[in-house]
Amino acid sequence: MSDAGTSHVRAALDRIVDRMLRATVLERIVIAIVSTTLALGIGAGIVALSGYDAVEFVYSLVYGAVGELSNVAFTLRQSTMLILAGVAVAVAFRAGVLNIGVQGQFVVGGFAATLAILFLTPLLPANTVVGVVLMIVAGGAAVVAGGAYGALPGLMKAYAGANEVITTIMLNFIASGVVYFLLDAYLRPPGAAAPNTEAFPDYVDLPGFAFGSPSFSVIGFGIALVTVAVVYVYMTQTGSGYDLVTSGYQEPAAKYSGVDPNRMIVRTMTLSGMIAGLAGALFAVMILGYYSDPNTFPTFGFDAIAVSLLAANNPLGVIPAGLLFGGLDAGGQYIGFTLDVPSELVDGVIGLIVLFVAAPELFRAAGRYTGLGGDAR
Amino acid sequence: MPEPTDNASAVELTDITKRFGDVVANDGVDLTLRKGSVHAVVGENGAGKTTLMKVLYGLYDPDEGTVTVDGERRTFESPRDAIDAGVGMIHQHFQLVDTMTVLQNIVLGHEPSRNGLVDDREARERVREICDAYGFSVDEHLDTDVEDLGLGVQQHVEIVKSLYRGAETLIFDEPTAVLTPQEVEGLFDVMDALTDDGRSLVFITHKLDEAMTAADEITVLRDGSAVGTVDADETSRNELARMMVGREVLFDAEPRERSPGDVALSVDGVCADDERGIRQVDDVSFAVREGEILGVAGVEGNGQRELIETITGMRGAERGVVALFGDDITELSRRERIESGIAYVPGDRTREGLVQEYSLVKNALLGNQTVEPFADGAFLDWRAITDHADAIVEEYDVRPADADATAESLSGGNQQKFVVGRELERNPSLLVAAHPTRGVDIGSIEFIHERLREMRDEGVAVVLVSSKLDEVKRLSDRTAVMYEGEFVDVVDPGDVTEEELGLMMAGQSLDDPDTVALDAGGDA
Repeated sequence: MSDAGTSHVRAALDRIVDRMLRATVLERIVIAIVSTTLALGIGAGIVALSGYDAVEFVYSLVYGAVGELSNVAFTLRQSTMLILAGVAVAVAFRAGVLNIGVQGQFVVGGFAATLAILFLTPLLPANTVVGVVLMIVAGGAAVVAGGAYGALPGLMKAYAGANEVITTIMLNFIASGVVYFLLDAYLRPPGAAAPNTEAFPDYVDLPGFAFGSPSFSVIGFGIALVTVAVVYVYMTQTGSGYDLVTSGYQEPAAKYSGVDPNRMIVRTMTLSGMIAGLAGALFAVMILGYYSDPNTFPTFGFDAIAVSLLAANNPLGVIPAGLLFGGLDAGGQYIGFTLDVPSELVDGVIGLIVLFVAAPELFRAAGRYTGLGGDAR
Repeated sequence: MPEPTDNASAVELTDITKRFGDVVANDGVDLTLRKGSVHAVVGENGAGKTTLMKVLYGLYDPDEGTVTVDGERRTFESPRDAIDAGVGMIHQHFQLVDTMTVLQNIVLGHEPSRNGLVDDREARERVREICDAYGFSVDEHLDTDVEDLGLGVQQHVEIVKSLYRGAETLIFDEPTAVLTPQEVEGLFDVMDALTDDGRSLVFITHKLDEAMTAADEITVLRDGSAVGTVDADETSRNELARMMVGREVLFDAEPRERSPGDVALSVDGVCADDERGIRQVDDVSFAVREGEILGVAGVEGNGQRELIETITGMRGAERGVVALFGDDITELSRRERIESGIAYVPGDRTREGLVQEYSLVKNALLGNQTVEPFADGAFLDWRAITDHADAIVEEYDVRPADADATAESLSGGNQQKFVVGRELERNPSLLVAAHPTRGVDIGSIEFIHERLREMRDEGVAVVLVSSKLDEVKRLSDRTAVMYEGEFVDVVDPGDVTEEELGLMMAGQSLDDPDTVALDAGGDA
């Protein structure tokens, strides 16, 4: 091995990684777009090699995501859920708590919202104002229920040393099972075949405005964006948020600065569950308009883990990551309806795109670990 | 002191330059280590001592300059290459696996093998030979886990490990930091034996007295450059200090103005356990008045950490009462204690005192999250925090002077200065400081000591834990010596010698008749 050769390679690597580590937000967005395009190109190649029409594939993927107003609405609808659930995951991950139970907290939150609406509707007059009040109450109930369901594994971790990854995964199953049982036994209207509740009254719905889709509302998307903003401000501008983020970076230092680690775990899980619960309420009110067997729900709570990780657990980053995932989801589903490309192939290409977008982040992380990009690091 | 056997050089560093971005850590440094001699490298923090040694040990690649070992020019890609060339390093933080035995640690990575299996007998034999040659008693502990040994013995294990790997040149990085004065004497004897045998040693230290005692030659680094190399016999402490700092340094403390006020902190019958539930503080009682510094001397690991953690709220007391100005604070949380005016310089700055990936600005907030003017209700005032960080950086001479730099990018001494600055500027009524000058250069030690005295004179009660005897003696109004969880004694520092303190740190009370006889030999 020639010394000069290796040191040249090393120096070149150093420069590249150093550049990556210093990339600005704008550069990161450019990198993401270039990566997506590159991945689409490679994906198209694979599709073509498999004997399908690659041009039509790419066209359908893009068209399904943004080609028509209703497709955009579907993309935004998926993105709304992924952004909210993604922020729920990001809050926990930033504090160093691995909340894998967002799906369960989401299910419980949606169920609480459903209960609030179904029980209060007969007691109140039927008009738009009552509809708004009902939705606010339902949202509140969902936040409380999701928070409580998140606090549970938090308490178990803090005071009994139970690993939160295991408890939250189990609690996901428990949430779906118990909600299904209650729904099937008590909320299914007499004679109905499917395990669905009664439909919510018409006035309990978010208006679609320009999009005209029954299952998407700009208000829902706005709620997701506002939640992101609130979480971002909380993390960066409040003492309590500093406590949370510091706990994630370095727990002994957080403890030194006056944070009670056990309380912080419970607080984090509660906050994460509250946001997940809010996502559940939106799902019930905006998308379904009734409640159903949770085992049939989309796995927003799990997909959100990928969204959050792609965003490096940064709440602001969750927005573009959520939009990307939402768009791919919409495009992929559209291909499923219109082309005879196997769904495995569609999922594979979507996975490739995610991988390419995530690669710069992985590269950065690897740079930090290996000490490339300057000895000082 | 052994005479160098000849004038041939064991290691020659020529014109070494190492840059990190815009920072020049080493700027054309020359250093010649003569065979069979001890060469001390002294300098302030950030002067480039550690960088220079990491170049020699293969951890850094120099940007310019050459490393010559035994007359042959070498390029080290890794410590492994350095070890193969006969260069070994005794790290300040021992590189030992705590849960493995002494023998396993020594042969780790260089195990003699027979038929693919570790040849245990051969390993023992070779370790014994090394121990016999230099008078180490390490071979008595070969099957003991490292974690069960004292730090002095662990250091011997490190040395034996390097010798086992065939090191002809040994680099000692701040080897005396964790030792008692008696253990330091023992280390110097070992160093003599090694040089008598023709091995060459580099001795990195902050302590000028030690450099002058143990070394043949001393190279002083300042701001990345070698200021000069002097003969240890022909220099003085003052000359070295001047070379290091670039100006005169006063070593004599001003006379104490003793006017302590009311009792600020009282600790009554406190017991505390460590993480494993083992009792580390056993029924300790004392009081500190306003305007008084209580020094707590002791070898690390005798309960000092647990004691101050029960005072600062990091750890619960198993028994006893801690009171601040007469109010029982035993049950208060850490945050409530911060708010009640307790500042704390933790002994572990890298894990507790600073968030490594945070900028200094964000670190200036650490512990201040609920304190005005940095917090306004639930919200933070980042402008006030930034100003505060800038002020600390400027006043405590933190280098590089950039509050946006991350904590991890700073050298240990500069990290320490920042933590000390943050805690001292809290306007506390009680300051608990653990090793406040650890790893800090002479010029900054002087400044930190001055600030501690000023705070004392302003009426702050100070608990100072330090394993540096001269620091405890110079600063404290009363000195407590801690050994195995108890206070051996509380004495007036003016009435005892460092040697006597050292004996107390080893558990002997001054009332013990044996103590007096040993006193004559002591001249630290």
